[in-house]
Amino acid sequence: MNLKRIHIALGSLMLLCLSVGFTKMLVDKPEVSAVLISKKTIYTAGQEIQLNFELSTSVHTQLFLHSSFGNTILESENGNFIFPKFIANNKGMIQYTLLFDSQQLLSGGIKIIANTNTKVELESYVGPSSIIAGGNDYTMPVIIPTDIYDNPLPDSTAIGLKHQFLSNIKEEIVYTKDIIGWSAIFSYEQSGRLLLSSKVKETSSKEFSIVVFPALPQDFRITAKRKHKYADGNQITELITSTLKDKYGNIISDGTLVTFLIKNKKGVLLKTQASTIRGIAIAKILHPDHQDLWEIKAFVSGIAESDIVQIEYESVLDDFKVQFSENNREIVVGPLVSFMEQLIPDGATVTLKISQEDTIIDTKMMTSSNGEVIFKIPEGFYPNGNYDITIKTLGIEKQYENIIMQ
Amino acid sequence: MKTWNKNIYRSVILVSFLGIIILILFGISQVLSYLNTGANRSSMLHVNFENSQVYLPKVSWIDTINLGRPIEKQTLYDIQKDYLNAWYVGQVANQTYDTVGISDYYTAKTRKRIIEPIHNNKANAVRVHSTTIAHNLSLDFYSADGQLAVLTDKNVKQYQRVYKENQLLLETEIISDYKVLLLLEDGFWRIRHLIKEEAQPIKDIFCTGHLTMVEGDKIYVDHREFQIKGINYYPQKTPWDMFGNDFDPNVIQQDFDSIKAMGLNTVRIFLQYEDFGKAAVKEEKLQKLQQVLDKAENKGIKVIITLFDFYGDYLVLDWTLTHRHAEQIVSTFKNHKAILAWDIKNEPNLDFKSRGKENVVAWLREMTKQIKQYDPNHLVTIGWSDIASANILQDEVDFVSFHYYQDIDDFEELYAAMSAKIDKPIVLQEFGLSSSRGFWNPFGASEKKQAEYYEQFREITQKQNIHYLFWTLYDFETIPTDVVGSLPWRKHKQKYFGVIDSEGNKKKVLEFIGD
Repeated sequence: MNLKRIHIALGSLMLLCLSVGFTKMLVDKPEVSAVLISKKTIYTAGQEIQLNFELSTSVHTQLFLHSSFGNTILESENGNFIFPKFIANNKGMIQYTLLFDSQQLLSGGIKIIANTNTKVELESYVGPSSIIAGGNDYTMPVIIPTDIYDNPLPDSTAIGLKHQFLSNIKEEIVYTKDIIGWSAIFSYEQSGRLLLSSKVKETSSKEFSIVVFPALPQDFRITAKRKHKYADGNQITELITSTLKDKYGNIISDGTLVTFLIKNKKGVLLKTQASTIRGIAIAKILHPDHQDLWEIKAFVSGIAESDIVQIEYESVLDDFKVQFSENNREIVVGPLVSFMEQLIPDGATVTLKISQEDTIIDTKMMTSSNGEVIFKIPEGFYPNGNYDITIKTLGIEKQYENIIMQ
Repeated sequence: MKTWNKNIYRSVILVSFLGIIILILFGISQVLSYLNTGANRSSMLHVNFENSQVYLPKVSWIDTINLGRPIEKQTLYDIQKDYLNAWYVGQVANQTYDTVGISDYYTAKTRKRIIEPIHNNKANAVRVHSTTIAHNLSLDFYSADGQLAVLTDKNVKQYQRVYKENQLLLETEIISDYKVLLLLEDGFWRIRHLIKEEAQPIKDIFCTGHLTMVEGDKIYVDHREFQIKGINYYPQKTPWDMFGNDFDPNVIQQDFDSIKAMGLNTVRIFLQYEDFGKAAVKEEKLQKLQQVLDKAENKGIKVIITLFDFYGDYLVLDWTLTHRHAEQIVSTFKNHKAILAWDIKNEPNLDFKSRGKENVVAWLREMTKQIKQYDPNHLVTIGWSDIASANILQDEVDFVSFHYYQDIDDFEELYAAMSAKIDKPIVLQEFGLSSSRGFWNPFGASEKKQAEYYEQFREITQKQNIHYLFWTLYDFETIPTDVVGSLPWRKHKQKYFGVIDSEGNKKKVLEFIGD
């Protein structure tokens, strides 16, 4: 009987122990519920943000934050969480989840908006930095106004945009949308420099400067200028354009390349180029060394062209002397005289062709010095025999057949 | 003796002289090449910048019409690439605290804001494994000079796993909208502003054109109840390499003929992740798969396709690559009538230990969603290797698949216990016995034993109407090392699971197959 009682007592003691143990285990992992006390859902950047939760049991909790730029976990013993600066200063939605021992108690979101009470900071981008006159082309200022924490100001922030061109100064108000405020500023008919600036509240931007280039050149005229009309192969003819302008009357940009194409009597094309200075291009070309007729036309490639100008060059001489000596192995050509019977300036080309039985053996070319050219035909290269000689200079050709060299 | 010694000294001196010269030259060349790094034009201009695709979340452009100016295709591509890279380097930094690349994809002012929380996390031992799964972009503004763009990125689906001191704290999927301003700097589109906005979720719309369905614990094909009687299939000559160079449609045709003749109606085949080209699935492989599926359809055989065979990297940052792999395969065949189900992965629970259960399960969970998104017509399952794992993700799959290689006498009891916990169709996706008695396995089962095993299983499956697929059609001559490792007795066992031996002779077991 007694034994039975002891058994019962022991049994109930064990039960008690077990139940105490069990409840202790339950205490170790309590059911926790939480309520958010702070009802504010919209905060301003830079303000202190504090979320306070009321917990059914006082336990260590964690708050997981997901923001624009990353994730953070905050820890708290009392359910009050103060957001660190790198979260509280950034605009955007923040999603939070309250955690207790990997258990999600509560989640929600708050919104941080830009702080419009701070000094405005401006970031401006303007491009393209050069545009074409005429009102078709435009440049685009893009302005990002932010608060001092670098958060873009809300949509519909007013931006004063000014631009100056020649005597005009204009102002317009644009409103931000999708972070930015922007405008398209079209060119005027004149070329020149366009200055831009912007202003939000008290903050002004830097000055931006845009070059307005003249538009494409219109067709133009050309003239030729030369010292005399003779084909002496020595003087220079200048080819000069009229002032190149766009259709609004702006002189086209310096450095525009003008190509002059010259067609001579034989149909051979000659070319010279020059770039414009103050709208005028001056190209230079050497006179021909024989009588010729040139047709000249100029182009700005693919854009504009000139009229056609014809100029004629007259031959400087009708005939010249040739002397054979030293068994015909020395040939003196000249004196070559020019249009006033002066000796032709040094450098006129004389060619001499040596042939035998209709086969050209050699062509020699020399330039004149003191109006003369001396060809020497050495024995070593040209054995004794009969040769045909042709001499050509300044567009005149002379032939000597069966010259016997010894 | 003396001259000999002398010669030794000479050669030692000569060799050490040569050695020193080589070392000096090597040292000089190293110094020169070090001094040259970063100075060549190509690296300054980033033209040979490492450009392999490591991050491929699903990107859809909603529209690109904006008031600024029309955007060029190439610029749009560049913006998308750099924007995704920005996300990628951010996620790497969150996971590893390594901020490399942040300076390439964020402007100087913005860098600070992204690095600060990372330093804070480092100080508090918090790591975040995360990836974005979908981006829906629209272009709000593109400036006239092509140097500035504003995007809205809607419904950014972001999966995150948060660890504190290596303890998993939170697993979460967050949907956000972002407003982004990018600037073109040094050839990179860099993020200048990134603002998380209130998300306005668009509901995922799944079109329903189900070719296969599940209701209660029954599987329906073309609105008729379907009982799976099937086989795990590899061609005899090319086990674990069905779509390789030796792919022969005629062999597959003949095998399907004999499978049909056995009275079976389903085959399970395997697509190897790397073999199929990882994130960029090879067209040639898809064509081969098409041929297999067409032959199955002609023969009236349904196919369970097991994806991601031999895939083992479940890291969160690798997710998007596997999503693109699945997308390309699954969407290609979403209307194919031969397919019964997509089996996401063979025996993923075997990777729990080495890769972490949370990694594997989270990957599988998202993958079920991905596959359903690209193919609403077919069922999705996961081929668990044992009964104990079968109830994992049972709400996500259409039917539950498990493999059974334990003692057949315990089967009924274990099966009953399992089916009480699961209210979806259950498929015994693999079972079988290797008739591998021989030198490497003296106590293994004989062909007779194998036949008895199948007889017993047929009784059970018939009695309880169990969907089954056994392992496998043929005995194989070679087993790749990737399958069971290189130990000869393991390989040996794996060779004799077939119901037809490697010479093409029918084994005893064949008479207990089918009805």
